Amino acid sequence: MSMNRREFIKTNAIAAAAATAGVTIPTVTLAKDGMDKDGIRWDKAACRFCGTGCSVLIGTKGGKVVATQGDPDAPVNKGLNCIKGYFLSKIMYGKDRLTKPLLRKTNGKYDKNGEFEEISWDEAFKTMAEKWVAARKKGPKGVGMFGSGQWTIWEGYAAQKLLKAGFRSNSLEPNARHCMASAVGSFMRTFGIDEPMGCYDDLEHADAFVLWGSNMSEMHPILWSRLTDTRLTKKDSEVHVLSTFKHRSCDLADNELIFTPNTDLAIANYIANHIIQTKAYDQAFIDKNVNFKKTPTDIGYGLRASHPLEKKKTGKGGKLSGITFDEYAKSVAPYTLEHASEISGVPKTRLKKLAELYANPNKKVTSFWTMGMNQHTRGVWMNSLVYNIHLMMGKISEPGNSPFSLTGQPSACGTAREVGTFTHRLPADYVVKKDAHCKFAEKIWKLPAGTIPRANGKTDGADQTDISGKPMGKTMIHAVAMHRALNDGKMNCFWVMCNNNLQAAANFNEESLPGWRNPDNFITVSDPYPTISAMGADMILPTSMWVEKEGAYGNSERRTQFWRQQTKGPGESKSDLWQVMEFAKYVKTDDVWDATLLAAAPEYKGKTLYDVLYANGQVDKFPAQQITDPEGNVYGNDEMDDCGYYVQKGLFEEYRRFQFEGPKKGHEMAAFEDYHASRGIRWPVIDGKETLWRYREGYDALVPKGAGVKFYGKPDGKANIITAPYEPPPESPDKEYDLWLSTGRVLEHWHSASMTRRVPELYKAMPDAVIYMHPADAKKRKLRRGKYAKVVSRRGEIMARVETRGRNKPPQGLIFVPWFDAGRLINKVTLDATDPLSKETDYKKCAVKVVKA
Amino acid sequence: MNKSSKLLLVGGALGVIFWGGFNTAMEATNTETFCISCHEMEENVYLEYQDTIHYSNRTGVRATCPDCHVPKEWIHKMVRKIKASNELYHKALGTIDTPEKFEAKRMKLAQNVWKTMKETDSRECRNCHSFEYMDFEKQEERSADRHDEAIENRDPENEETHGDGETCIDCHKGIAHRLPEGYDPAEDDS
Amino acid sequence: MKKTIKLIAGIALSCFVMGIAGADVSSLRGGNDLANAAEKTKKAKIEKVSGGIARTWAEQPPMIPHDVDKYQISIKNNGCLKCHSAATYEKEKSPKVGDSHFLTREDKALEKVSSRRWFCDQCHATQKGLTPLVENTFETVGRSD
Repeated sequence: MSMNRREFIKTNAIAAAAATAGVTIPTVTLAKDGMDKDGIRWDKAACRFCGTGCSVLIGTKGGKVVATQGDPDAPVNKGLNCIKGYFLSKIMYGKDRLTKPLLRKTNGKYDKNGEFEEISWDEAFKTMAEKWVAARKKGPKGVGMFGSGQWTIWEGYAAQKLLKAGFRSNSLEPNARHCMASAVGSFMRTFGIDEPMGCYDDLEHADAFVLWGSNMSEMHPILWSRLTDTRLTKKDSEVHVLSTFKHRSCDLADNELIFTPNTDLAIANYIANHIIQTKAYDQAFIDKNVNFKKTPTDIGYGLRASHPLEKKKTGKGGKLSGITFDEYAKSVAPYTLEHASEISGVPKTRLKKLAELYANPNKKVTSFWTMGMNQHTRGVWMNSLVYNIHLMMGKISEPGNSPFSLTGQPSACGTAREVGTFTHRLPADYVVKKDAHCKFAEKIWKLPAGTIPRANGKTDGADQTDISGKPMGKTMIHAVAMHRALNDGKMNCFWVMCNNNLQAAANFNEESLPGWRNPDNFITVSDPYPTISAMGADMILPTSMWVEKEGAYGNSERRTQFWRQQTKGPGESKSDLWQVMEFAKYVKTDDVWDATLLAAAPEYKGKTLYDVLYANGQVDKFPAQQITDPEGNVYGNDEMDDCGYYVQKGLFEEYRRFQFEGPKKGHEMAAFEDYHASRGIRWPVIDGKETLWRYREGYDALVPKGAGVKFYGKPDGKANIITAPYEPPPESPDKEYDLWLSTGRVLEHWHSASMTRRVPELYKAMPDAVIYMHPADAKKRKLRRGKYAKVVSRRGEIMARVETRGRNKPPQGLIFVPWFDAGRLINKVTLDATDPLSKETDYKKCAVKVVKA
Repeated sequence: MNKSSKLLLVGGALGVIFWGGFNTAMEATNTETFCISCHEMEENVYLEYQDTIHYSNRTGVRATCPDCHVPKEWIHKMVRKIKASNELYHKALGTIDTPEKFEAKRMKLAQNVWKTMKETDSRECRNCHSFEYMDFEKQEERSADRHDEAIENRDPENEETHGDGETCIDCHKGIAHRLPEGYDPAEDDS
Repeated sequence: MKKTIKLIAGIALSCFVMGIAGADVSSLRGGNDLANAAEKTKKAKIEKVSGGIARTWAEQPPMIPHDVDKYQISIKNNGCLKCHSAATYEKEKSPKVGDSHFLTREDKALEKVSSRRWFCDQCHATQKGLTPLVENTFETVGRSD
């Protein structure tokens, strides 16, 4: 990793700065030749936390990470990190790292109610295999795996193969379902291809930024620093912040719009109406590039079918039907300024200011959103309503004009979405709903046709036969449904890897915990630390994390980044990749495939899933080699040592075939080595060049000459403007439960804080979750700042201290409680309502009361 | 009782009534409730002030608007009240009747207050705060050092005054209300 | 005799099982069962450390050793720069903002703190006087600077 040029520039720049300030300063010690004068070896890695995808330099000495710093050569963060990112150096060193597999036992035998005892990996996988094979006999949904947007790309890919091809089960979901499934749903409906068209360069190109339910200041701090830089240095630049409560991002807002929960739907429609009424839209762009559609309404809230709200609904699903521009205009016409202001509670002047910004053809606008818009029972609709605005103005696919969905996890894009570790997906946007896509995957994976379960259990019009001899039936099951199935005893084996779903999933008391502790079920959790999930499991597998393995992540701007293994995991801990592949050695095709399928591929009879899926002449194609950096430092690769071949490379290169050999274009990635040699590359990579803005000629090599703009994800090259109305949320405050509850994250902790709360500095900066509330609401309930109070919903309660003067300032009638705190599990209170289209949970609104503790 | 003494008595009584009425009226304008009866105050400075230590703190002793902004001594109070007539004029004009307008004028408004405080040697701060009764053990090291320095340099004529002309407000700007946009502590040569 | 041996073996075996039973594993809830209500935690004040809190490695952003309640950072002002800016730190006897903070994204040196570093609280935080929930075994190694 040569940094000499960079170091030269940096040193000079600092010297110049020092001269200006009139002081002498020591220059920053920077990595040189991969090893500095203190004997610390420096190498790059992608940050372990959010979807921003910062690059960090890892300082290693004596087999341990002893320092980390922002990577000055990384285009994403240019030497900066947020407070969490800086403290990456400590996340692997919590004293309670798990070092041995643990199984609940009594008198030496597995017992659901026993105490955890140390066991060998062999016993762990033997036990698991026995349970899994038995549960799989019940049907494809008898087993399930819950993975992660924190998996490395090859871990997700290996798991995808294990579940969908090996176990012939589509019961594979990532925690990304809770995170950006609504964004994906809308990308597919609107553009026919996943992920943003723009990139982070928009942060410097835009004239104005609109945050739709995103507290970037805390959740994407480095992108926020770039946005702040633009706002404070670019003349006439603007920041508009939409939220249901005031938070740190409002500190930079020129226009702050605090709206009543769910009324963002009305606000977006008002803006569209304003654009139409003032005839500000780009007629030429619309004529050439856009179709108008409508979607079924009153579609319920993704609750259990027995719930009264589900019985009341009159619409279903998301099948789009074509409409005209006039029909579209008519559909948004009721959303006048007056109506939008009345329903949302936002003053008219502020709404108008926002509408006029979008309608101004001379202002380049980038819209950002995260969980406020995705964790929404109308999340897919809401994403589309923002695309509608950008599409009508033609403000899309060019520098600074960008509707931009940000992700929360380091590889929600790279792994969950691109590899497709969802129940309905296959790699590179292929889906199990389409027979042809499954056949294409089977061909690449060298499997007999019909191996992968189709969504409807049919191939070539005929039923797929399951191991039980019965037809496969419907095979898809999403994250929230998995917890319900565990609770109902329909799914009996569940493997949670690289996430903390027991803490993260909504409705802990009624669904999650009873499901996990259901005596019929066997729950395995793989994690570096004893998390809430680990404590709720029957077997815990100790995991080597982050730079204890070779890895790859894909961030929010389509940038894929690799790192080398820097240190070894503690004790007997093993990476998720090893665990997935090793487990495959304990299950044979005969255990889980039916006779007709085996007859179609007799060579696989009696083979282990490992033999069929990984030792297939492709994944094991690249021999073991020494891993070195350009300076000649040597790195370990534990999986290579265990398997005897370059596993990561084999998996990645097989995965790439999905991007090049199928009918779908637009996901092309570079070769394995290119990523190790760079600070990431943004796909599609065409002729060795990355793509910054998609769908526009001159920026995107896949757009033919003379086409101008082409949304090539759709057969006719046109994007959809999809109209959808305002609809109320499933649960609103009433007389008894008189407050809205919104949950979310905080700057200092990442997600469930299993890593960050073990870093002393981060713990001491933000020790426990508090109840952020308006002082008047506190006073009404005789509560005082700093005193404990209970947050109570129809489903459960928690206790935390009241904070009326903190960083979050909710309006009267709403409270905000972060979910990072294992000590007070706010998901005991939340409602497991989802967007019926994306199946993503709405963690941002339910009704609660707050009382004295 | 002769005529003139009667007159004197009546006059005196009227005087008392008038004076009493005047004083009552003036004191009525000297409450926080009166101050925030104008939405300009309530929606801007009062709101942000509620987040500060002068509003809410450990012991519950608190300062209200007039404690800091209206002098205690009668003559100074009268001067302040006469100046306030200008505020009524601008209230009528609606000069700062929206948060946006208020922000646009905040620098000027703040500078006026700072100037007065500087001129009066932060008189209203001293209604409650005094060097004499500060416990340096309970202060942060740096604050204690700065206060100690101030005492060292104090004016021999007036023990509470900083000898080099510095006064409370020179260091303690933006403690009860938000600082105006464009305020640069580096360029603040006070 | 046989019986006795069996009995001893039985006891030995159960001791062995007991010995390894209950691997010491608990979450950040401590011993509090998942189904139980939340526990109250100790209240702590912000640590005030004269001379600052020592870094644990050279590139670590320093933590804030004092209260920050009265300082705000917004689009208009940065309360931290009142004492830590290049122009004020000497007078205020405070540490100056780090030198790296004067560089733009393109490494251009500025006289003032770069606006990409405007929100200090993205990297620097106060510390409550609490004992960490779990010990961290990160080791500070000697560095030549």
